[in-house]
Amino acid sequence: MNAKITYGEDELVSLLRQRADSSFGYLYDNYSGPLLGIVSSIVADQETARDVLQEVFVNIWRKIESYDSSKGRLFTWMMNIARNAAIDKIRSRGYRDSLKNFAIPETGETGAATLPQLSDTGLKKVLTTLKEEHRVLIDMSYFQGYTHEEIAKILDIPLGTVKTRIRSALTHLRTMIK
Amino acid sequence: MNVREYISSGIVESYVLGLTSSEEQSEFERMCKQYPEILQARIDFEQAMERQARHNAIEPPPSWKYDVMNAVTSQEAKVVPITGIDRIARPTRLKWVAAACALLLAGSLIWNISQYNRNRKLQNSYFDLTKDYDSVALHLTEIEDEIAMISLNPNVKMASMKGMEVSPASFATVYWDTTSRDVYLVVNNLPKPASDKQYQLWALLNGQPIDVGMIDNDVFIGQKRLLLRMKNVSGAQAFAITLEKKGGSEKPTMDSMYVMGNL
Repeated sequence: MNAKITYGEDELVSLLRQRADSSFGYLYDNYSGPLLGIVSSIVADQETARDVLQEVFVNIWRKIESYDSSKGRLFTWMMNIARNAAIDKIRSRGYRDSLKNFAIPETGETGAATLPQLSDTGLKKVLTTLKEEHRVLIDMSYFQGYTHEEIAKILDIPLGTVKTRIRSALTHLRTMIK
Repeated sequence: MNVREYISSGIVESYVLGLTSSEEQSEFERMCKQYPEILQARIDFEQAMERQARHNAIEPPPSWKYDVMNAVTSQEAKVVPITGIDRIARPTRLKWVAAACALLLAGSLIWNISQYNRNRKLQNSYFDLTKDYDSVALHLTEIEDEIAMISLNPNVKMASMKGMEVSPASFATVYWDTTSRDVYLVVNNLPKPASDKQYQLWALLNGQPIDVGMIDNDVFIGQKRLLLRMKNVSGAQAFAITLEKKGGSEKPTMDSMYVMGNL
């Protein structure tokens, strides 16, 4: 009994909300790959990525009631859960402490911005096509979760400039992934 | 409102990638309800992102699935439904035993459910606590880093700025790194400025004021930053803070000088 079924997003959401048997297996089979891709673009090592991925699915399962399809697609919602979980992880004290085992060069003010050197997968690859001043901003805001205010402070550039540069980098990004 | 321009401003991407502030987010959601083109642009980009993510999927090793399923199902109750008990005439004593068993079973079921709920509540508060802990720990590391930056550096000079006539209780401290020229400010006590006003820090050198930057009014609300990074200054004998119009002034307004202190 292993017929290949595909559900639309709406259908899948309502099955998950009913806690229907097998809906979770379907969710895992169809989304673990892309979600792990996203997690791995933020978290470098495999073991941590596995923990994060596990947290992501627990969160999806726990929070599916609060998903609101008028605000975005299911995939987008899950993608953001994955990104947030990965960023929470790299910002947690445990993870930061574990990084201290590696020698991190003490570089002045931009030191915090370049902490983990990450694998170049997915969106990260697209990033390399951006110009440097844009790349740094997307890296800090999307992949490391710094707020615009924090970025302005760290890089010592005006908040308005941070916002406009991120926006223009993003529009460039759109043309790249279409 | 120019819909085209709004769409191409980068707001669509910011929203989908979760990079918008909460005001921008609710504004964008309103716009989507009002303008079908904006909604369509959002959906298009969302689909492009999904394609992109699927294209760059990393399939997890098969063994992970078991762990993830376990983690998820351990959140769930395992309540076994009871199927109807056969209604066949039985000796009275057996009937009593059966009734007692059913009662015990029901009791244990209720106990199970309450334990499950309790467990779930604990698990939730555990999650919340870990989150809080992480954010507190992060904040602490930041503070530690900042303190290390000024207190472990022998080249850093300090200026305690005491309150002036306008506000005798005010107090602020400047740390000035004489080698890197970095200036850090600690606002120990300053009254919250009106929203069209802003404090400005000045360095004084040979009687001449030099602008060292504005103090963001955000400092006075919400979570306080310990150390404010100001503009670098190459020489100073004293520092002072004045209250200026928002955005700052070229020259300090002397009669609204709040604090001042020598190095």
